[in-house]
Amino acid sequence: MDIEIKMDETWKEEFLERVEKDGPWASWEMYELALEAAHHLSVPEFNGLQAPKHLPHLTILPHQLEVARRVVEEMNGKAILADEVGLGKTIEAGLVLKEYMIRGLVKKALILVPASLVSQWVKELNEKFFIPAVQQKKSYVWEQCDIVVSSIDTAKKPPHRDIIYEQPYDMIIIDEAHKLKNNKTKNYEFVQNLKKKFCLLLTATPIQNRIEEIFNLVSLLKPGHLGNAEQFAKTYGKTRAVQTNDHLKALVNKVMIRNRRADTPIEWSKRHVEPVLIEFTDEERELYEAVKALRHESFAGSFSLITLLREACSSREALFLTIKNMIDKCEGAVPEALEHVLEKINAVTTNSKAEKALELIRSINDKVIIFTEYRATQLYLQWFLKQHGISSVPFRGGFRRGKKDWMQELFKNHAQVFIATEAGGEGINLQFCRYVINYDLPWNPMRLEQRIGRVHRLGQTDDVHIYNFAVKQTVEEHILTLLYEKIRLFERVVGELDDILAKMNLANLEHYFEDALVHSRSEGEMKIKMENIMAMIELAEQLGKKGGERHAAT
Amino acid sequence: MQQHEIRRFVERYFTANGCTFLEANDNYMTIQLTAEMDKELMNRPFYWHYIERTGGVPQPMQLTLITRPNEQTNKLKGERLHFGAPRLHQLFRSAQKRGSFIRLYEEPESPLNGNAALHPWLGMNVVISYECDRKKDDLVSLGLHLISGTIIESFHERLRERRLTPKIPDYCFTISPLIKPRSGISRLEQYIRGRIAADDHTWADEARQRWADDLALLDEFYKDTEEKPECYYIEKEALEKQYKPRITVSIINGGLFYLMPRSS
Repeated sequence: MDIEIKMDETWKEEFLERVEKDGPWASWEMYELALEAAHHLSVPEFNGLQAPKHLPHLTILPHQLEVARRVVEEMNGKAILADEVGLGKTIEAGLVLKEYMIRGLVKKALILVPASLVSQWVKELNEKFFIPAVQQKKSYVWEQCDIVVSSIDTAKKPPHRDIIYEQPYDMIIIDEAHKLKNNKTKNYEFVQNLKKKFCLLLTATPIQNRIEEIFNLVSLLKPGHLGNAEQFAKTYGKTRAVQTNDHLKALVNKVMIRNRRADTPIEWSKRHVEPVLIEFTDEERELYEAVKALRHESFAGSFSLITLLREACSSREALFLTIKNMIDKCEGAVPEALEHVLEKINAVTTNSKAEKALELIRSINDKVIIFTEYRATQLYLQWFLKQHGISSVPFRGGFRRGKKDWMQELFKNHAQVFIATEAGGEGINLQFCRYVINYDLPWNPMRLEQRIGRVHRLGQTDDVHIYNFAVKQTVEEHILTLLYEKIRLFERVVGELDDILAKMNLANLEHYFEDALVHSRSEGEMKIKMENIMAMIELAEQLGKKGGERHAAT
Repeated sequence: MQQHEIRRFVERYFTANGCTFLEANDNYMTIQLTAEMDKELMNRPFYWHYIERTGGVPQPMQLTLITRPNEQTNKLKGERLHFGAPRLHQLFRSAQKRGSFIRLYEEPESPLNGNAALHPWLGMNVVISYECDRKKDDLVSLGLHLISGTIIESFHERLRERRLTPKIPDYCFTISPLIKPRSGISRLEQYIRGRIAADDHTWADEARQRWADDLALLDEFYKDTEEKPECYYIEKEALEKQYKPRITVSIINGGLFYLMPRSS
């Protein structure tokens, strides 16, 4: 046996000192309690998980437990956690960290997450896992605190970087690790030079990545697992996706765990989706047409017509801000067309969408979340609802964590409506609400999914109702009918969508739409372009199904 | 650890430290802390500093701990106590700190005819931790007869069968140890080393194998690199930290026990 044995010396010295001084001595009861405490704190087995016993208040799902067990027992504490969105990767990572802390194998840990999620991680680790995690705010935190959460952008910069390299971290956790797919970036290099005794990389979309990206990610975690760069290129260079090569897939699966929604026995509550088509009033219609006419103006190239049209569908307030900006930028005389739009804005006295929203909110008579893309619309809606005696809480990105929490509580306990702009959605959970109004639709389906994900997530027990607003005979109607209804986007379960989009390799779906809707010279051309997009989506979907079947067969 | 065990532990802890229970039922307990326990547990050094400086009348806090939450306890301003609760772990640490060193004498069960000699024993409860990328603990209780050098295991179990008191009982006298405490500890350490050596260490061999496997991959990764980059050495060191088998022996508590000799 050649194993280093370390004997505790501190007890001995103090004991001998007390013998010398004849005390002080503990009571028999305290002596017994100390021993009992040690019994409870000891870890009786190499295998198995201790953490669940420490977290009786936390509902841990079977697949999450299984992930933690496999990471500890089969992967030696180095893994890529790649569950589909919404299955609780944070819980899994927290479990693994807690397990190692209970076993005394991790004392110091560094958790790198996107800046917007730092405080959420701190909160969850503290409240759910009783892990005293601290947000890095001052540079002494690196040295003095054991469990630190920071954004990678802060961490990689001097002087932080050099202090971090000096710290004896036992565990590194990186959220949104797919951002590390390029090995030429500063972030990659930074992580590569961290001491990674135990390491978890969290990402939702690794499989669809190009295989070099998978190679980079795995090599960060376990260099050599997929061979070196040259060997890898030689063996798998022609492979297009990980799924198509069984050997590579098996190898990747040794370091990566991916649960799919379909594989978990979780029963998801249903989504009911209802398109709500709205008629413009004559004044609103005239305004919309006036904006549309800007296309023929000589200055048309300098702004995005699509943005103006979408704003016109949202609220005259949103449109006004942009138009005013354009006017301010004009040198010399203001173009007549813009003046014309301003006139039309002034002529509008009602907001048909807002009226519809009010009607709906009254009939629902329960808590409702309204999402809008525009700040001006948000303010208008808040004012409008207040005029009708409905209290609402505005919410947007850029709120500090404390304010976010407070607004969330305010909504939960004191207001009927929650009006959120896009970026505000990240990092809040509103499972207590089950009605969502998409006041205007984002053109990127993933963003829509994120919106819905705020209410339709683990823990939501009731069915969720989603109302998609669109004004008839506008860009909105096109988007709603062509994309959202034909591909039945809303009925898909969360997570399916990111697979499909990734397979399509359509990084910028929005641009395709914009091209079809704005740059088409005729209705016919637009139709063809939209159909093409549809066809691509359907193809990707079929590919996905085939992959799934084959997967099931093996 | 079951809720009733937690409850029992907490009751014993506070009783042993002289606190009183203002309320105690199956669902929760409210404890009036002593000044000493307030300082130990409530983390308010400035308050105590202030009181001691100004000579004010100290008001130790009360602590409400909920062991079985229900509608009644929801209204209370208390802390939920379960196995993972930071408060319980604080009590564990405090108990270990306050219950580390002991000296006790055996009290004869029946009146003695004449004087009785009490023999000195050194008792030690230790945790042996086997660590690599995984970990296991072994708790061992040892007793060393400080006259003959005999070592027995499960020593604490035996102590539990006896009546022990902090003061030397009437008509009893202690025999001075032939083995001094310092060398007694060394003998026990030696015994522990022997015990470890006799153990099955498949776990360590397996850990070394995992280490070797990962190291081989790493070398392969940088095989074509003439001058290895720094991250190669960082990773190599990390693998050692992750897998290298090591054993630590820590002492939970221990002390001197003067016991009546028994034939068994």
